[in-house]
Amino acid sequence: MTTVHAELSDRGPSPEKERAQRDELVTSHLGLAHQLARRFSNRGESHEDLVQVASLALVKAAERFDPDREIMFSTFAAAGIIGELKRHFRDRGWAVRAPRRLQELLLEIGSSADRLGQELGRTPKVSELAKAVGASEDDVLEALEAGQSYRTSSLDARDREGQSMAESLGSEDGGFGHVENHSVLSFAMEQLSPRDHSIVHMRFVEGLTQSEIAARLGVSQMQISRLLAESLRRLRVHFDMQDESAHH
Amino acid sequence: MTYREPRTSEYEVIEVSFPGSVEFVVLARFTAATIGARAGFDLDEIDDLRLAVDELSVSFGPLDGETSLRFEFFRDGDTVSVRCTREPAPGAPGESPPERDVINWQQARELSEQLLEELVTVHGREIANGRSVAWLKKQREAGKA
Repeated sequence: MTTVHAELSDRGPSPEKERAQRDELVTSHLGLAHQLARRFSNRGESHEDLVQVASLALVKAAERFDPDREIMFSTFAAAGIIGELKRHFRDRGWAVRAPRRLQELLLEIGSSADRLGQELGRTPKVSELAKAVGASEDDVLEALEAGQSYRTSSLDARDREGQSMAESLGSEDGGFGHVENHSVLSFAMEQLSPRDHSIVHMRFVEGLTQSEIAARLGVSQMQISRLLAESLRRLRVHFDMQDESAHH
Repeated sequence: MTYREPRTSEYEVIEVSFPGSVEFVVLARFTAATIGARAGFDLDEIDDLRLAVDELSVSFGPLDGETSLRFEFFRDGDTVSVRCTREPAPGAPGESPPERDVINWQQARELSEQLLEELVTVHGREIANGRSVAWLKKQREAGKA
């Protein structure tokens, strides 16, 4: 039994001490979260996202762990983390199994949307995109929905000017943090990576459209669309997990 | 899914009901996108509408599969309205189950409302016929006809 295990078994630790012990439990098992996230790599989800899912599951496991049960925390946490990773894939199963034709159409739509946007001087409509790629509006809408989960390019993929989105965003939070008010939104945004934080900030604090954010960062509107949707889902999961732990 | 005959060529109503589980929300998003396209929304506006539908779907608490969600979509010219009603699961008593009322859930709801402020023209919540309803309205931006 580790020191933390032993201390958690003590009767009646103060809430502060208990919190510190659980934090230590999480910190000392972050490697486990990374290791399990790696096992689920190469299935269409970024490693960064999987680590985030696994880490949240680890925190949840620490909250639920009962040291009186004769089970190692690592065993208990691993089961919870694997369950959460599986649930992550299952919840996104519809898009992950989308057929190849949608993936190909999505790529076509991405490049056509950018070109049309420049030609028209505004964001294109679905009917204009459908005409440009020679598909029905239904097919375009279906592909756009699938695009919410597909990774057409990674964060570090080079755009046409050879600059990655990570570089466009700058480091850390881009200096935005200090201008936000103390709303739930700003609190929730702290749960996001610097990249996602910046994008959510531009959309919901600065009020830029997705196309304007894309232009500012030199990436496609579809990438911003997917990242925004993912960020909002992640925030929801964060609150849901807190909510669940409040019931245990 | 029910399709009603439009009152005029510019007015359409579509209803979609499904178990309150996250894997079914795609149905509501897809329907919203389709109606948005018919209203002449551009890609940005359609994406905003889809995100807003996600927020409506969790207006009453985390999706746990224990209730049903009924979405009604209305298009009137260049305006799309969406109403999301939480229904009891089949076989359950007629009243909507009580909403979760813990601090974190209140924060989550507040977050949703802040996001909806930016995503749609107007939104709200109400009780109608003993059911919890969350609704929104989004109008195509002027000059984007």
